[in-house]
Amino acid sequence: MAASKSVGIRLERKKDASLLNWNLKKTYSPEKVRVPLRCGSRPCVRAGEHVQTGQKIAEPDRPEEVTVYAGIAGTVTEIASIPDPTGATITAVTVQGRAEPKSAPVVWEVRKGWEQISAGEFMMTCQHLGLVTTDLSSEPVHAKVKKNAAARTLIVNCCEPEPYITCEQVLLLSHPVEILKGAELLRKALGAEKILFAFEECNFEVGELIKSKIFFLKWDHAEARAVPALYPQGLEKLLLQNWFPGKEDQAVAFPASTVFAIYEAVAHQKPFYERIVTVGGECVVEPRSLWLPLGTSFRDALHACKGVMREPDKMVMNGPMAGIAQADMNVPVTAGTAAVLALPKEIVKEDPEEPCLRCNLCVDKCPVGISPVMITLAADHGEFGIAAISGAEACIECGNCGYVCPSKRPMLKKIRAAKEGLKTHRIRETAARHG
Amino acid sequence: MAETPKTFSTTLAPHIHSADSVAKRYWGQVAALMPLVLAACFFRRAEFLHALLLSLISAVAFEFFSAKLFEKKNKFYHGEAVLIALLTAVLMPSGCPASAIILANFLALVVAKEFFGGMGEYLFHPVLFARVFLQGGVPGLMAEPMVFYGNGWILAAIGLGGLLLLKQRRGYWEIPFLYLAVYSFSDLALGCRAGDPLGFFTGVLFTGFFLLVDPVTLPLTRKGTRWFVSGAALLGALLSPRGFSIVAAGSAILLMNLLTPWLDIWLRPIPHSSRKLLKEGRAQ
Repeated sequence: MAASKSVGIRLERKKDASLLNWNLKKTYSPEKVRVPLRCGSRPCVRAGEHVQTGQKIAEPDRPEEVTVYAGIAGTVTEIASIPDPTGATITAVTVQGRAEPKSAPVVWEVRKGWEQISAGEFMMTCQHLGLVTTDLSSEPVHAKVKKNAAARTLIVNCCEPEPYITCEQVLLLSHPVEILKGAELLRKALGAEKILFAFEECNFEVGELIKSKIFFLKWDHAEARAVPALYPQGLEKLLLQNWFPGKEDQAVAFPASTVFAIYEAVAHQKPFYERIVTVGGECVVEPRSLWLPLGTSFRDALHACKGVMREPDKMVMNGPMAGIAQADMNVPVTAGTAAVLALPKEIVKEDPEEPCLRCNLCVDKCPVGISPVMITLAADHGEFGIAAISGAEACIECGNCGYVCPSKRPMLKKIRAAKEGLKTHRIRETAARHG
Repeated sequence: MAETPKTFSTTLAPHIHSADSVAKRYWGQVAALMPLVLAACFFRRAEFLHALLLSLISAVAFEFFSAKLFEKKNKFYHGEAVLIALLTAVLMPSGCPASAIILANFLALVVAKEFFGGMGEYLFHPVLFARVFLQGGVPGLMAEPMVFYGNGWILAAIGLGGLLLLKQRRGYWEIPFLYLAVYSFSDLALGCRAGDPLGFFTGVLFTGFFLLVDPVTLPLTRKGTRWFVSGAALLGALLSPRGFSIVAAGSAILLMNLLTPWLDIWLRPIPHSSRKLLKEGRAQ
């Protein structure tokens, strides 16, 4: 397993503020949630109907889709289309919580013999309890397991290379054994031989904790391995690329929070209706990582952390390097929301674009070995062939090139334009070839 | 809880940027040139000061007028014009008339830079283009730069400036050393013709540190830049009949500038995802 050279940027981590307070015992309960439904699922509740925490509100239409659950108890007031944090329009079920008295915390029953669950039962549990991956792709877990049946190694990704985000770290420090047991369940379902826990080398306490638990459980098939604390090392694609160069299909990576959700679903039969989210940024009064029901608005997420002390200039879902800026605070927390950031003007200020100096910094800092400068310059001149040979389609949109550019060029915008232009160019070429 | 605005800025990621900027890069190079400029002022006094002031005034004037002529925003604050003025003054020979200095700045800032598209777009190193053009046009007036004539302090000032550039970490550290190594090796291979070793090292180190740091005219990869520098050193040694010559070194760099677009294509980086396919293709 040869590790290739790690390329990246050493960013200011800014994680201390949200690590001061990490009590994960209680889920924040907002007054209202707008639970986003997945494409391919239909609501099974109607407006006016009462629902309980963890009650099914939508069923899958397709076998590769999952069930959706309510994160709070209350009344369904509306089923309507809303914009989601990625900019797409989705259907959401609005649940208005009960005013008083607040419902008691739900206790989920432990499944008997959960450690001996068969692969078939595992898949069914994941689908019926609505498990999706807690990254931006939000892929149903059972579909991802099925797709990666050939994987011989399971990677549990405990890395958070983006600044501010601490949710995985906090979850690991709070529930290490649960995550290890979840990983074992997932390994058995995949039929994999080995589990690799990836942690950032600067998070040595996380690494030591995992190593000690592996030792305690006497697992020979598990190993904790450090990743350089360079952005974007620690992203799933780069872990596979660096640890299994040329053999990426022999391993599969899952975020640690997904593995924890798998443990809760299999062992406690708890549906997936909440996730751990870091609410942070310089504008937030009390930044921290906390459990939020899916569908909580960004406004309520900030409210859970005592609000903002000054006006943010940008609201960002996930990290400042590859996150998505939001136009307002009404967007809901989804399975792919690892962080809600309220960032002030001095942090996100944008300088005017200057001409490219061809300084090569973007090439030197690209983790996938493409030439962002050639792609963007070629796209500016409509030379999509050159954009293609420079690796436009291999771009993972990590944001490194835009960060380091001294000319402050909007690299991601230009690379996306190159990808779009390339698609159109290929369609035209194919059409011309076929007459 | 403070009131929050209803809508926020929604530009694409990244939402944070490094502190590096175009102006910092150019002013950083100007700062690195200062030890040499001060040493030249000390040893060449009135002659160099005259050339320096004339070069600065004419460069600023040409920058201002070319911005008007090409309807661009005047970006004097970037420091590019000051850098070009300093390099032009340093490369001018002793006893050079004022008109030649003004013409050199015109050729660098207006012809080599603005006619080719302005900042970031030009093909040839503007200062070397002007210097080589003047050598061809008025060879009688042009000789080796006045600051290059054997003086240990000048060499030390170049070394100090080079260290400042290396400290800024804005270019590839190996470039000046590679240039020195290839040039010296080529010179030895061609019969060790360096008559004045001090002048030789002064010229080679100045070229390596200050003339091969303009990223606009260099290839777009580290590998390409190494090939470019090796080629420039080899050609420079071949073109200079007796030891180091700034015109030969400059001509070599300008010739390599012509090759830059091809080097960009030939030595482009291969995406990691394509390397496996390439290896398989080669194996078959």
